[in-house]
Amino acid sequence: MLEARSLNRAFGSLVVTKDVSFALDKGERRVVLGPNGAGKTTLFNILAGELKPSSGAVLMGGRDITALAVAARARLGLARSYQKNNLFGELTVRENLALAVATARGAAGWIMRDTLSDAGIAEDVRDAALAVGLTEMLDVPVDAVSYGVRRQLEVGIALSTRPSVLLMDEPTSGVGPGMIQAFHQLMHTLPRELTVLIIEHDMDLAFDVADRITVLNYGEVVFEGTPDETRGSPMVREIYLGEWDAHA
Amino acid sequence: MSDWSYWAVQTLNGLQLSMLLFLLSVGLTVIFGLLHFVNLAHGALYALGAYIGISAATATGSYWAGFAAAPVVVALTGILLYLGLMKRMRRAGPMNQVLVTLGLIFVFVDIFRLVWGDIAIGTVEPALFTGRSELFGVVYPTYRLFIIGLGALVMAVLALVLSRTQLGAMIRAGVDNDQMAACLGVNVEKIFFLVFCVGCALAGLAGAVAAPVFSAHPDMGTEILISTLIVVVVGGMGSLRGAIAGSFLVGFAQTFGTVLLPHVASLLIYALLALVLVFRPTGLFPARA
Amino acid sequence: MFRQSLLKTLTVLAILAAAIAYTFTTGYFGKELVIEAATLAILAISLDMIAGYGGMISLCHGAIFGVGAYTYAGLTVLFEVNPFLAFAAAIVVSAAFAFAVGAVTARTHGIFFIMATLAFGQMAYVLVFENKALGGDDGLAGVPRLDVSPLGLDFNNSVQFALFAVAAAALSYAAAAWVLRSGFGRTLVGIRVNEARMKAVGLTVWRTKAIAFAISGALAGLGGAIAAQQTMFVSPELMAWMVSGTVLMVVIFGGIGTLVGPIVGAVVWVFLKHEISSATPYWHIVAGTVLIITIVAGGRGLYGQIEYMVERRRLKRLAAAGVPSTATGREDETHA
Repeated sequence: MLEARSLNRAFGSLVVTKDVSFALDKGERRVVLGPNGAGKTTLFNILAGELKPSSGAVLMGGRDITALAVAARARLGLARSYQKNNLFGELTVRENLALAVATARGAAGWIMRDTLSDAGIAEDVRDAALAVGLTEMLDVPVDAVSYGVRRQLEVGIALSTRPSVLLMDEPTSGVGPGMIQAFHQLMHTLPRELTVLIIEHDMDLAFDVADRITVLNYGEVVFEGTPDETRGSPMVREIYLGEWDAHA
Repeated sequence: MSDWSYWAVQTLNGLQLSMLLFLLSVGLTVIFGLLHFVNLAHGALYALGAYIGISAATATGSYWAGFAAAPVVVALTGILLYLGLMKRMRRAGPMNQVLVTLGLIFVFVDIFRLVWGDIAIGTVEPALFTGRSELFGVVYPTYRLFIIGLGALVMAVLALVLSRTQLGAMIRAGVDNDQMAACLGVNVEKIFFLVFCVGCALAGLAGAVAAPVFSAHPDMGTEILISTLIVVVVGGMGSLRGAIAGSFLVGFAQTFGTVLLPHVASLLIYALLALVLVFRPTGLFPARA
Repeated sequence: MFRQSLLKTLTVLAILAAAIAYTFTTGYFGKELVIEAATLAILAISLDMIAGYGGMISLCHGAIFGVGAYTYAGLTVLFEVNPFLAFAAAIVVSAAFAFAVGAVTARTHGIFFIMATLAFGQMAYVLVFENKALGGDDGLAGVPRLDVSPLGLDFNNSVQFALFAVAAAALSYAAAAWVLRSGFGRTLVGIRVNEARMKAVGLTVWRTKAIAFAISGALAGLGGAIAAQQTMFVSPELMAWMVSGTVLMVVIFGGIGTLVGPIVGAVVWVFLKHEISSATPYWHIVAGTVLIITIVAGGRGLYGQIEYMVERRRLKRLAAAGVPSTATGREDETHA
């Protein structure tokens, strides 16, 4: 469904992504692990289209999308959530979701009708809000909600475009244990045919939701396998030594 | 006049315009680079310099009195503006800055009309530089050669200060990353203030120097403002090299455009600006990599 | 997001009623002021649409206005085209010009966007100024007004022409409000608030921006075509960049991002200018000071400040009534 072929990217002489290849099956849940500075976010930006790779290709559903811009990839069904909240600050939660839904449904250019009062769009908005637990907050402006709620909305916006591939950049960064728990539940309620790639620091989440795990270090894929294989890998253990001990 | 000397004169004209544009734009560009502040009233400060220069020269009978007074008075005016208005607009976003300084243009223009009247007033060149000089068979007004020399001198001094002194290093650091510079112990506020004053003084100097050539009128600041902005944007906001390159580009495009393509000359610099903005929005020599 | 609140509706209706009543009671010069305020209001509405809601601070709206005026004047004076046809052409040509500016400048932001629009506006100005066929800096005289005699009307009658201008302004408001309340208008606000995220959810941002510019340009062109008929004369001065600056000042003065504010701004501006200019030749010093005070006072503008206070009370009432909202005046908070 989503494939990276020999992706390379350097900033000046600093090689941040080095010959990265992997392939996700339809409906697969993949977690990318790696210490800080391993090039996870750069890889993510290349997949989403915000950065162009120096060489290599990104394929979605077998189609080469390397040359496509962010918006064009999104229209093909590739959605992303951000590590740092990237929301429509002064608008309400409902308006945030409606903008995403309307754009995904091709209603962003409607001149004769209002997307905020459209029944079909409202339904998708309710679905997305329900999925991320924001049903009660729909009419609250984003500027007035807590950080945790913003994290939920961050994922909600990505989900509300009804993507076929969802990229999530550290969806639980900075939130408390309660919310991480809620996120685990969300992951299990996602439609099974949705392909998901998550960048994570949190081991528990990775082992809980992942079908397969890819480990990056210094921009390279150093390991790929099932959660069990990952747990048993001495190399991964070494890379992650500090964090490993803290978690396991 | 021979063909060769005609083109030589045009080149000197281009040089002279470039130098004036440089004196104006260098302040504007460094202020933008450091403070991220767009000062549309910079042109009005130039006009103020011209008026002060003329008044001081008339009062004392000496051109040099105006030459000295203009930068000082304009810098003082700049200080008042900075403390009273611009300091609090620092973080207000480009639109509010553009609007406040647009408001200032309106105010300045009417102050000029109130104090100096609606009609253009001129002044005489200093006795030292009156008449014409001959250089390799080319006859050219001496005073304009003085403008070229003065511009080159300021250019050299600024380049030296920026590249060789501690102050220059701090300014460059501030343009590059003001927060980082502040962390490294640079008193950013103080440097902002200093740079702003010097920028205003140079605008005042440019006005005083231009007065004998162009004579002063209330709209002179508004007229030159656009050319100055083009220099700043085309060169790359915040960089000395950009201001130099932009000044020469615009100065020569205007001078030779008027001679060679009189009908599209004025279009030329706007097209240049549009091209740069669309294809290289950070300008030719951006201060930040 | 745009909301046609009760306050907006009442204010627009009040101004409309006042303009009509004033037109019937005032003398010739008063009617000229009404027409001037109406055309300025159209231009200001047009600018507020993209600046206040779309976040695109254009400094070329004077030029677009001028393109409309010159298209109408050029076609009627030089080619003796039917004025109605020329009127329609003025709107179409202005929209096309605006579309091009919007498309080309779509990638630039902040001060670079402002400068880019300035550059394109100045290019149009210079082209007109240097064009001898369009009269160069002398402009074109003898511009006819629309011939409405088949309807039993006469636009050379200043009452009728003033009412026409007022009606055009009211229609412009309605059109802009309609667009802003549509899906397209929501998208435009989305771009202002977070352009990157709009891209990330799949929007072709440049196209939305260019179309918004085109709609705004059509309104500006309409204003220009009416202005050309009012004075029956066009000159490059219509397109100078200070005109664009003035319109932006009017929008700010009335209240950017409120759509009604620009109308209030235009009316107050025209009448204040008239009053002050008759007392002293130094109107600009007053205008500049008023603008500076407006910005330093928070930049909400005359109508914007009122709407802000009314809206804040409304949200407080809602919060007190149990609606889970902790909002305080979010509508016009982030235009700075």
